[in-house]
Amino acid sequence: MDLADLTRELETLRADALAAIAGAPDSATLEALELDVLGKKGRLTTVLRGIGALPPDDRPKVGAVANAVRGAIESALAERGAEVRSTELAARLAAEAVDVTTPGRPVRRGTLHPSIEAMREIAEIFEQFGFVTYESPEIEDDRTNFQMLNIPPDHPARDLWDTLYVDVEGKLLRTHTSPGQIRVMQAERPPIRALLPGRCFRYEAVDASHASEFFQVEGLMIDEGTTMADLKGLLDQFAKAMFGADKRTRFRPGYYPFTEPSVAFDVECLVCGGSGCPACGRSGWMTILGAGMVHPVVLQYGGLDPERYQGFAFGMGPERIKMLKHGITDLRLFLENDLRFLEQFR
Amino acid sequence: MRVPLSWLRDYVDVQLAPEQLAERLTLLGMEVRTVEAWGAGWEGVVVGQLLAVERHPRADRLSLTRVDVGSGEPLEIVCGATNIAAGQRVPVALPGAVLPGNRRIERTEKMGVVSNGMLCSGDELDLTGDADGILILPVEARIGAPLAELYGDTVLDVDVKPNRGDALCMIGLAREVSAVTGAPVRFPATDPPESTDRIEDHLQVEVEEPVLCPRFVGRWVSGVQIGPAPERIQRRLIAAGQRPVSNVVDVSNYVMLELGKPIHTFDAAAVRGGRIIVRLARAGERLETLDHVIRELEPETLLIADPSGPLGIAGVMGGATSEISDATTGVIVESAIFDPVSIRRTAFRYALRSEASLRFEKGQEHRLARLGADRTARLIAEWAGGRVATGVVDTNPTEPAPARLAFRPARVNRLLGVELPTAEQRDLLARVGVPTDVAPAGTRIAVSSEPMPLEVEAGGAETLIATIPSWRRDLAIEADVAEEVVRVRGYDVVPAILPHTPMPHYRHSPLRLRHMVRETLAGAGLTEAVTFALVSPTLVERFGPSDDPPVPGEGEAGGRPVTVTNPLSSQHSVMRQSLLGSLLEVVSTNLRQDRLDVAIFEIGKGYGATDEDDSTHEWWRLAFALTGAAEIPAWNRPPRPYDLDDAKGVIELLARRLGLPGPNYVALTDDPRLHPGRAARVTAGDGLAGRVGSLHPGLLDDLELRAADVVVAELAIAGLSGGQPSSPRSVTPSRHPAVDRDLAVIVADSRPAAEVEATIRRHGGPLLRSVVLFDIYRGRPLGDREKSLAFRLAFQAEDRTLTENDLDGAIEAVTRGLAADVGGHLRT
Repeated sequence: MDLADLTRELETLRADALAAIAGAPDSATLEALELDVLGKKGRLTTVLRGIGALPPDDRPKVGAVANAVRGAIESALAERGAEVRSTELAARLAAEAVDVTTPGRPVRRGTLHPSIEAMREIAEIFEQFGFVTYESPEIEDDRTNFQMLNIPPDHPARDLWDTLYVDVEGKLLRTHTSPGQIRVMQAERPPIRALLPGRCFRYEAVDASHASEFFQVEGLMIDEGTTMADLKGLLDQFAKAMFGADKRTRFRPGYYPFTEPSVAFDVECLVCGGSGCPACGRSGWMTILGAGMVHPVVLQYGGLDPERYQGFAFGMGPERIKMLKHGITDLRLFLENDLRFLEQFR
Repeated sequence: MRVPLSWLRDYVDVQLAPEQLAERLTLLGMEVRTVEAWGAGWEGVVVGQLLAVERHPRADRLSLTRVDVGSGEPLEIVCGATNIAAGQRVPVALPGAVLPGNRRIERTEKMGVVSNGMLCSGDELDLTGDADGILILPVEARIGAPLAELYGDTVLDVDVKPNRGDALCMIGLAREVSAVTGAPVRFPATDPPESTDRIEDHLQVEVEEPVLCPRFVGRWVSGVQIGPAPERIQRRLIAAGQRPVSNVVDVSNYVMLELGKPIHTFDAAAVRGGRIIVRLARAGERLETLDHVIRELEPETLLIADPSGPLGIAGVMGGATSEISDATTGVIVESAIFDPVSIRRTAFRYALRSEASLRFEKGQEHRLARLGADRTARLIAEWAGGRVATGVVDTNPTEPAPARLAFRPARVNRLLGVELPTAEQRDLLARVGVPTDVAPAGTRIAVSSEPMPLEVEAGGAETLIATIPSWRRDLAIEADVAEEVVRVRGYDVVPAILPHTPMPHYRHSPLRLRHMVRETLAGAGLTEAVTFALVSPTLVERFGPSDDPPVPGEGEAGGRPVTVTNPLSSQHSVMRQSLLGSLLEVVSTNLRQDRLDVAIFEIGKGYGATDEDDSTHEWWRLAFALTGAAEIPAWNRPPRPYDLDDAKGVIELLARRLGLPGPNYVALTDDPRLHPGRAARVTAGDGLAGRVGSLHPGLLDDLELRAADVVVAELAIAGLSGGQPSSPRSVTPSRHPAVDRDLAVIVADSRPAAEVEATIRRHGGPLLRSVVLFDIYRGRPLGDREKSLAFRLAFQAEDRTLTENDLDGAIEAVTRGLAADVGGHLRT
């Protein structure tokens, strides 16, 4: 083989390879071609083995041709490779496409009970004003539930709390969270700002607005200069936080044996905005809680001097707060645990 | 209390519109619950004049009337009453009218004659008690006018609070109206016209129990004629919620509603010797009460008696033998005051709470005894034509001196957070009949009342002394004065401010850990339930307290169940000792509504009692129940039911969230509620203990749960009752790679995986970081009673990259340990 033969073979190789590359349908074919032409045992190497038989002067010439051929093939491979990969990518993307409008795979999420959540929301609001949470027993003694709250045995005010009694001497199921006031006063020195959430019981026929078991949140604040104006300010803040900053509120007289003076706290009707509707009994107001200045008898049972200390207590029903807030019309739903009801909350 | 405005106006002028009056009374503390248009039930009832009353052509007992109702042609109406005559004015229900009780009147045919409506009796209109005759209207009634124009009224329903017994009557509410408007109160005339008879000749009263009956005033009226009370009175009583009975009985109800003084009247003929004795019942005595129930009297019962025996239960209910009847001609009037506590106990004991006992319970003004007796005698004479004997029998005529209550205007202001000048406070008190004076030096202030009375020196503070009207038994301490001042002034005087007094010390919320658990479980797909603490005896029997190991700081379950002695129903009569039964009821409720996948939890209490010391205790638990689809079914996911592993996964998630070690499970085979092969005791360090398992199939059947499997758990968790979650120590992750080794361990099929895993951990050496079970294999080539457990072991050092040699030593040790401790060998 002489220079011309070798050169011709290299040109033939170039022409064959370029044609094959141009016609290669996919990247696998290209990779095979690359190996076949440019690989260690490829055709180019095979041709160049003949170079050793050439005179030394001719070798660089063949080398130059061979490099040109290699360069041409490499760039053809790269060029065609890019084309083929791009086609292949497009095909893959097309093949992988899904109907993105189908619903996602659901992740199960439970919901939190509205009564307990209401108590948490109430606590979050009052915590901003320094109130701290306590708990007290549900099976209470008559003395703490009534007598120490200025409700002696056989007092007509007992009619306000129809009571469930139990088969343990002197005990009953607490009818309100107010006995917690006594327990907090006995355990702490003023300044006191306490919240007492928990379950309560009444001998009460069940209907849309009465339950034999329900929750209450008691509030208690006592110090040397705690006044009814503080009570009004805090409750007003509470109502605005819970029901909206534009809501008007008012105090009107109420009655509880353990507060004096006692008040009912009203917020403007959430349905009609105060103009009067069936939901508010046409009064324009909805009562959300009862409150008052702690009665001196109660302060003394709590171990506090009523001449020095004064303060207020309030008690509210978290279910009622939720009913007003979400338009729930039947109190029974709270203990029925129908998932269709519970799952409406978060 | 129902208050017809027309009646109230007898005692005070009311210029305000009813709605305004209601609002003002509410803001004064007399909450008006409803403002009712009385007569709204008479739609389509008009005044008619009878033009003719003739016999019905085909029925002897019916009349055919022609009635002018003021609209052209007279109407022909058939009527069965006999008290009608031409010329009278009567109420006519026109066709289409709806009477009280939702009774619709239509044009009907009666024995061949068309009746164009109905003539109404007082009873049919809820106006009087007379059901026999047609209500005859006054001649001045305008023909064709709606009946409401004639007899319509407005009735306020006032919620009088228990401390204001004085306001449970027209006079009491008139005083409140007066406080609002300033209009004077007109007390009705009480003096009866007296005859020449002397009461001493007819009536003697002995009070054996002056503490229980501090005052008894009697009057004697003879020659009465029993009949209906005047219609105007009947109308008032009905509007106020009382059924008219007869003139004499109606007087006592009328006086009670007017003055707040319960009155009892006896047929004088039934009181032997005209002698009344107020005494306690004797053992074995019986009495037939007005409701015709024969009652065994208990010895603590205060009686009104005559020498031959009991006449009535004092203040609660009269006896049948001395009841006013049509034949009564002589009447003894009892206007007494009784001990409130005694009355309340007696009324409860015999389940006989009445309008009268309610008023006695709240305490009675001393002078009302005399006023009530006089007013009653006067009205009997007026309505029933009797002669009132001269004088009264009065066991305690001495009026107590009015109470005086000292207060400091500055203290009133301090309590309320206001700055009301002294003069204004005095004006406000005067409006509710409380005059004030400057207190003499050295006056002591009643700061607190019984049973914790406290009086203090006024010191240098300005002090006033209020004279308390005899009817205001509720004004006893300085704070009561503050309430009077502010309720009359209106609570809008109290500003809304934010506290500027010192803050209390920080305190962790005892609810914090509970909220963490709730959020975690909700995130894991469980919905929070809140169920009754009071459950049925069956449920308590079936789901008793679990004997799980104690968790520090958390109450142990136990003690006997606490039972309600006056339950509303047996379904809610015992305090539960486990949450599981309650949750299964929730599962059942939802399954019955075709809600087949249920994942719920509750954090609640169990309750128990210890009889030795009459103590009770309460313990917090978390329980959950899972049934149905573990994941919400989706088009691209096959359904998978909840099983035990899901429940364990939830517990493991909780343990991680609360910083507890991974839970350990031990087979639990003897809990009758749980599947003996699918239940475990679970503990996580000393921070969690309880049980988890599939419900026993037998129980599933007993509870009629339509589910293949329900997995439940009940757990005590440290901190649930108020403790705080622990804070974990942080560890810097090693910078050197971990190396995994997989081991397949062949052990007996009965060997719990947890034991094998524990063995591996025990022998794995200090470099072993984790052991994870990733496969369980049974079948060839293993023996019948063998299984292969595949674990992935991760090893890691803090200071270097591990070599094969490091691992070989550890694996060698594990292999030896498995052989020795659990009889296992590696599968190669």
